[in-house]
Amino acid sequence: MNKKHKSISYAKWGYIFIIPFFVVYIIFSLIPTLSTFYYSFFNKGFDPVSFEEYEKFVGFDNYVKLLSFEGGTNRFFSYFGNTMIMWVLGAVPQLLFSLLLAVIFTSARLRIKGQRFFKTVIYMPNLIMAASYALLFIGLFSDVGPINVLIKAISGDTFRFLADPWGARGVIAFVNFIMWFGNTTILLMAGIMGIDQSLFEAAQIDGASGMQVFTKITLPLLMPILVYVAITSLIGGLQMFDVPQIMRVSDTPTQDTTTMIMWLNNLITGASRQYGMGGAMSVLIFAVTGGLSFLVFKTMVTSPDKVKSKKKAK
Amino acid sequence: MKKRILAALVASAAVLSLAGCNKGGSSSSNSTTSSSGNTSTDASTSSTTSEPTVDAYAEAQKAGTGVFDTAGEGKVFNIWCWNGDFKKYVENSGYKVPDGITIKWNEIPNEGGAYQKQLDAALLKQADAPADEKIDIFLAEADYILKYSNAKVTQDVKKLGVEQWATGYDYTYKAATSADGVLKGVSWQCNPSAFIYRRSIARDVLGTDDPDKVQEAIATWDKLDEVAQKAKDKGYIMFASPLETYRTFANNSKVSYVNNGKFATHDAFNQWLDQAKKYVDNGWSLTYDLWAAEKAAQMDVDGKMMACIGPAWYFNFCMGTAQDKTPGDWAICKGPQAHFWGGTWLLAAEGSDNPKMIADLMNAFTANEQIMEYILKDANEFPNNKNVVKKYAEDPNFGLAFLGGQNHIKVLGDMTDDIVWDTALHTVYDQTFNEDLPNNMLTYLNGTKSKEDAMKAFYDKLDDVTGGSIAHD
Amino acid sequence: MDTNYYNKTGETKSQRAQITTARVFSYIFLGLVTVLALFPILILVINTTRDRFALQGTFSLIPGTSFGENMSHTIYGDNDPNSLFNTTQVPILRGMLNSLIVAGSSCLLTTYFSAMTAYGIHVYDFKGKKFAFNFILIIMMIPTQVSSVGFVSLVENMKLMNTYAPLIIPAIAAPAVFFYMKQYLESSFPLEVVEAARVDGCNEFRTFNMIALPMMKPAIAVQLIFAFVASWNNFFTPSLILRTEDDLKTVPILIQKLSSSVLSGGADWGQVYMTIFLSIIPVVIIYFFVSKNIVEGVALGAVKG
Repeated sequence: MNKKHKSISYAKWGYIFIIPFFVVYIIFSLIPTLSTFYYSFFNKGFDPVSFEEYEKFVGFDNYVKLLSFEGGTNRFFSYFGNTMIMWVLGAVPQLLFSLLLAVIFTSARLRIKGQRFFKTVIYMPNLIMAASYALLFIGLFSDVGPINVLIKAISGDTFRFLADPWGARGVIAFVNFIMWFGNTTILLMAGIMGIDQSLFEAAQIDGASGMQVFTKITLPLLMPILVYVAITSLIGGLQMFDVPQIMRVSDTPTQDTTTMIMWLNNLITGASRQYGMGGAMSVLIFAVTGGLSFLVFKTMVTSPDKVKSKKKAK
Repeated sequence: MKKRILAALVASAAVLSLAGCNKGGSSSSNSTTSSSGNTSTDASTSSTTSEPTVDAYAEAQKAGTGVFDTAGEGKVFNIWCWNGDFKKYVENSGYKVPDGITIKWNEIPNEGGAYQKQLDAALLKQADAPADEKIDIFLAEADYILKYSNAKVTQDVKKLGVEQWATGYDYTYKAATSADGVLKGVSWQCNPSAFIYRRSIARDVLGTDDPDKVQEAIATWDKLDEVAQKAKDKGYIMFASPLETYRTFANNSKVSYVNNGKFATHDAFNQWLDQAKKYVDNGWSLTYDLWAAEKAAQMDVDGKMMACIGPAWYFNFCMGTAQDKTPGDWAICKGPQAHFWGGTWLLAAEGSDNPKMIADLMNAFTANEQIMEYILKDANEFPNNKNVVKKYAEDPNFGLAFLGGQNHIKVLGDMTDDIVWDTALHTVYDQTFNEDLPNNMLTYLNGTKSKEDAMKAFYDKLDDVTGGSIAHD
Repeated sequence: MDTNYYNKTGETKSQRAQITTARVFSYIFLGLVTVLALFPILILVINTTRDRFALQGTFSLIPGTSFGENMSHTIYGDNDPNSLFNTTQVPILRGMLNSLIVAGSSCLLTTYFSAMTAYGIHVYDFKGKKFAFNFILIIMMIPTQVSSVGFVSLVENMKLMNTYAPLIIPAIAAPAVFFYMKQYLESSFPLEVVEAARVDGCNEFRTFNMIALPMMKPAIAVQLIFAFVASWNNFFTPSLILRTEDDLKTVPILIQKLSSSVLSGGADWGQVYMTIFLSIIPVVIIYFFVSKNIVEGVALGAVKG
């Protein structure tokens, strides 16, 4: 971000280039977003008995309600915990897996054949809508599905994936993993391909091993893209909604797979449409996302400096 | 009396259909709903003199309704719904949309509560909406109909000319009536829910698969327990889900879940939960959800499930594995207690600019027997029309191959009088009591959670739904 | 460890052996990944061949024989008067065309304008640049669920209900795509290129369109396909905006309509799976061609670098 370069006195072009984005954002998103924040200070909702909307200023009440502990429990924090657990279970293996795939695909030494085929195949799970995964996967993990037939043959007993807290979380993380590893791989591949090829050639001539090339060239130069992948994955993870929502059957222990956005959704789509509470939830989720993204950014951003010095050195 | 009303209707429809052809001729302001007295002379003569001839009857039915003076009506008739079922019925049942009016279908899929959310917002803004965008009719389900029938956003349909037909089932009218007794809409269907059993298992357990004898064997809950034990001795299970009987109990409760703004479980609920626990503990029931794949698997050739419970739409459309693998091996009987499950109503929105069309459509989808036969035969639903039901119930050649040729209309028809709807016992939050409450109990019944934890999880959900407006323990 | 070994010996033979081992390992790994990735597709394809009754609830890896029947119900509807279903017929081919229009336009707008915004912030120095960048990063983190109601009433007020504009135009402001483009420029777009272009007398738009965009080809190809798929599969917003004419609706709404038919219990699942299957075919084809561009992008990058 703080890249040093000769400043070019073409400032007005900067504005011209970014204007369309901001105009469209302001027209279509800014007002609904600001009103979300505004209403977080109101008790705003709908009374289905009188069929009337209501709206009353309550200051920080919604926030206090969300953050206070009742009988030693707090729903916001426990759903935050669920969300993080399911995200980490899916995202960490996904990142490692995708990195490995991207390296394999882009390696000049390996010269993998049939790349187009593999690259098409890994992306295919993402073409299926999230909602369709419920249709495809609930049966797969049911007591009478093929996985349990296998488990039963080995252990003599079935494992009720979706009725067990960790089973259900595992299945959700797995579906997220399948759906998204192709995307991550492609992002990383595009990033690696953007790296100056002469660096790899030079390393090869110098006799660097595959591991050395990876840690000394690929990884540091890929850092901006890795930052992107990590942060967008975190944002997506904290806003996890569709997969846990659709993979839920009614004997799923609700409190263990409910994410923050699922709760938010319950609040604003329930009969009394708690927009005030929903607004406060949104603000809190936003704050948590911002805080964690900042942490990720700070821990990862040390490396790009090295990248730059390397680039300069060349 | 029923006959007379019908005769008058048919006759007046016939007359009006002529008036409709001869546009601008007679300026009759009668709608097809006028039952007697105020119809034109021709109509009243024909209705008082005798039964209409077969020809006149057929003529009227062929014309359908949809024949009335459209003067003053809005050009666009807006119907709000969440799927295409009713649209299909209107388009294919022979209902004739009058010239000069087009039906506009506003279809909002009910994903994530979007339908009610958008509908409520639009109803609140109805007064400001341009005439062609005003909602005329919207659809609502049993579990939340009270929200609309009690509200000012719906109107008195009797004033518009909708008849509370004696041919309709009483509870369907009660469900669409506000607390202060105003009828706000009607339904084309009725949903008595039956005991659906597997014939081959019944033969093995009870020595018979005859619906009357099976009904006798399970006529009370105690008797059902005995049969469940017998079934277990033979290696079967009565149900695949302990939720199977929830609606039977909840439907027949004499008290509401909510009293003086506080939620408390009532006797019917406790009876159900005790029963469900007993069935699970005794190995009479598996512990799956009503819609689980595991339940479907029990309908397969080597399935062990003796029975499940549901209305016509359930066994016709939701028992796929049975329809595929074990058709003909099923039958239905009343079961220990009558009840209903589900149902969709047409409600009239306040501020509509098409009052006549509302009345016509609502009358057509309750009293027009041609349409009601379509609902029974083609749509495979149970129609809200006793005449049509009677016709098919008495037809010895009518039956479903899936039920081994059994005439399901007859069985279901006999159950309808025992269905209860007491508006005072219902709340605008029925959906959460009928779904979230039993679903949360399932985590207790399958051993994942303690009863207290399961109940606490439901309280959380209740808070979300009601915004804390209903207290609980 | 193996680094040391490598340095000491420097034998091409062992080097080759190493590469061969790595290659074998890679192919095995790719084989496993292929199985994993194709598994959902496989279930889907098997389901398109199964009978609509067989599809309810039970799971099977054994194909059925109803592919033709399901296809015919999907395209022509089921008009057999004795059938229980008399299926809802939805204009699926029309829906695919609609989705193509919406997804095609929005992915073009998204990638072009995100690249443009990222370029504007990456290349130029201007007052408020840092603010603009941080602002976009921040709005990327705001959950959007609550604001959907506000969005719908906005669209109502603009008289844009039942049109494609509210589904396409907002694609211009896509914070996450912008962020990717910005990161990509950061890692692989030297500013010297712009300066060189200026020396050659190129105006700013021309530099962006003719020089920067081609250099961003891999990034653009990636985001093009991602944005296309995201829009193609988007159910939520279109379902709120496209309420009336079936002929206007996009594929996910039609699929939802099929699966929620008959009291939300009795959909014709044969038709549902067939529709899902048909709906991914165009995307697979498009992806196949775009992925070629990703590969070509490497070659270009190598030459330019």
